[in-house]
Amino acid sequence: MGLKIDIHDLTVAYDSIPVLDGTSFQVNRGDLVALLGANGAGKSTLLRCISRILKPANGHILLDDRELKLLNNREAARLMAVVPQETAADFDFTVEDIVMMGRFPYLTRFRKEEQKDREIVLRAMEMTGVTHLAERSIAQLSGGEKQRVVMARAVAQQPEALLLDEPTANLDIGYQSMLLELASRLNSEQGVTVIAAIHDINLAVHHFNRFILLAGGRVLAAGRADEVITAENIQKSYGVPASTFRHPLHGVLQVSVARGKPQAELKTKGLRVHVIGGGEEAMPTLEFLNQAGYDLSVGPVSAQDSGCRFAHFNGLPVVIVPPFTNMNQEHRGKHLQLMRDAEAIVVPPIPFGEGNLPLFKEVEQVLEEGKSLYLIDFAEVSKRDYSGGKALELLSGMIEKGAIPLKRIEDLPDLIGKKEEIVDD
Amino acid sequence: MSKLIPPIIKKNSNLKRPLLMFGLIILLVFTALTAMIWGAVTIGWKNVMAILFDALPYYRSETAAGIASVYKDILLQIRVPRVLLAAAVGSSLAVSGSVFQGLFRNPMADPYVIGISSGAALGAVFAMLGGFNLVFGGFGAVPLFAFFGGIVTILLVYSMARVGRAVPVMTLLLAGIAVSAFLSALVSLLTYFAGEKLHQVIFWLMGGLGGATWQQVKVMLPYAFVGYLAVSIFSRELNAMLLGEETASHLGVDTEKVKKILLIGASLLVAAAVSTSGIIGFVGLVVPHFVRLVAGPDHRFLIPASAVLGGTLLIATDMLARVIIAPTELPVGIITALIGAPMFVYLLKKRKKLRYFGGGG
Repeated sequence: MGLKIDIHDLTVAYDSIPVLDGTSFQVNRGDLVALLGANGAGKSTLLRCISRILKPANGHILLDDRELKLLNNREAARLMAVVPQETAADFDFTVEDIVMMGRFPYLTRFRKEEQKDREIVLRAMEMTGVTHLAERSIAQLSGGEKQRVVMARAVAQQPEALLLDEPTANLDIGYQSMLLELASRLNSEQGVTVIAAIHDINLAVHHFNRFILLAGGRVLAAGRADEVITAENIQKSYGVPASTFRHPLHGVLQVSVARGKPQAELKTKGLRVHVIGGGEEAMPTLEFLNQAGYDLSVGPVSAQDSGCRFAHFNGLPVVIVPPFTNMNQEHRGKHLQLMRDAEAIVVPPIPFGEGNLPLFKEVEQVLEEGKSLYLIDFAEVSKRDYSGGKALELLSGMIEKGAIPLKRIEDLPDLIGKKEEIVDD
Repeated sequence: MSKLIPPIIKKNSNLKRPLLMFGLIILLVFTALTAMIWGAVTIGWKNVMAILFDALPYYRSETAAGIASVYKDILLQIRVPRVLLAAAVGSSLAVSGSVFQGLFRNPMADPYVIGISSGAALGAVFAMLGGFNLVFGGFGAVPLFAFFGGIVTILLVYSMARVGRAVPVMTLLLAGIAVSAFLSALVSLLTYFAGEKLHQVIFWLMGGLGGATWQQVKVMLPYAFVGYLAVSIFSRELNAMLLGEETASHLGVDTEKVKKILLIGASLLVAAAVSTSGIIGFVGLVVPHFVRLVAGPDHRFLIPASAVLGGTLLIATDMLARVIIAPTELPVGIITALIGAPMFVYLLKKRKKLRYFGGGG
């Protein structure tokens, strides 16, 4: 089982606009391949060439070294099954009827469905979990159920390769992973070669082990997730700035597309705000300020910290401390400088402990110099205080010296008035 | 559906279709016999049976010997060919209707949807006004012109709709509508100048089986048979085509070939029917819908069942056309529309949706 698919120099053009422009790659027996790429990159066109809906203008498609165009429809349908994005189901076939149609390529004109076909259909329905729907009309099913029925039909086709064209585009997240799980089960249990065009990269990395990234009708990258899904490739193929990271729970590679920094509004233009500390707790504050158009600086943060990545991604000034080390004099000096350069300083709802309390010495210093200091969620600070009450004491003291406690970062007053005051002075 | 079928049968779907088919055939035979009995002159059912059996080879009925020969002539030379012709025309219309609805995945499609009727009508009207004295194979100019008018139209529509080697069904449908409208305008134009032949033209356009002969039956049946065979052999492919052409192709159906064969088969059926009887509406629309409601969209049952029910329906409506204002006959097209349209609306209302095209819920 498992089909080897060779794509050689494929060319397809719609109205002389090339969609596939010399696409070449190889899919090995039993590969589990996700086809990635922006809208219009040629994913669907490529799949439609392999499934014989489109005839490429140039190039070759070889299935196990046999030229695809020399196969007849039934031969091809015995080798490949297709699960499209959506299936028209406006008619009253039962689920069992639909799945039985998967046996079509095996039936000859005068050979009816036999017991063997019925057993294959039953097994396919069991595997995809649609047995209980067997007597229901396909027209009455939900989108997710319908896709599973189409999957069952593909299984009943007993293919050596399964082509999926955006199969999850209209499904909720539960059905999305269920469907892709089925595809990877077919791959691992029966060795079926799977090629799926997929939009959702983060979904794809969970279920596939090879990736082909298309851009402009050509293969931009092919290989393992970490070889293909890089910030640079995403930028080239999808045209958006993106960052990649390992998922905190299971470590798989994930892509995040950052919202670009909006054109700064007048009132926040050129105003620098310094945010103290990083970690997950600081991220909403950083993102909010970034979206509001402020210039930001960050620090001090540990080198692998999310706040550090945020600063690098957005090209912000940042004080970085190597992991598991204390701040040295150089770090402290740089941090002091960043705070002095800022119009205001924000302390996000970070946890406090012996490790980070020393840096507040400089914070207190700039507060005394007259900097605005905002403390987010000060009321709940005792819950984040791992210093035995020292942090509460310290921050309370700062409030007496003019630091302003805020419930949430969204309550931050426009800093414009402050700026004018400074100018007036 | 649930009311029509007793629960025991519904549970055992293996039995449902054979039983339904059996019931439909009984209904057909019963209707045919009624149509032979009833008319301007009523012939008793015992006499009908006697004459029919007597007409069989190697069997002489004693009862038949005592029946006046005028009854024998009415039955054997007028009613029997007429019933057979009605059955053939009704079947052809219903079968081609179910094929076109499936092929176009459109519940509104009927046998005339891609312009065969307008082509046939133009041919027929042309022949009537031209007054050609042409006889070929026992046929006058009107059915001959009608037949070729229909066939030429379908070829024209097909070649217009072709994009490269493929014929997208949507383009086919649209080309059919356009050509149909154009030809209908020509028919109206000719009708306008029909003069004293106006009555003949209008009567033909309304459709009827008056004056049916054995000769017509002999010519009609082979066409109907060939057409029926062509479409029924491809009924499994037609099922797959209902899922969309791409899906059918993924399942191994050679869609272009299948489309071509189905189109040829169905067109042959319609052209034969129209040239025999003029334009009889609603049979091709209502019958497949009704069968689908009861037994689902599987063409392996839909096509034979539509054939039997379509034949039955046209025999019945033709009988009404003969007897309602006997001895004058109404055009049967009027009756089929008068009965068919309300029946269609009833089905629509009752099911809220036609099970063929669900439209949700």
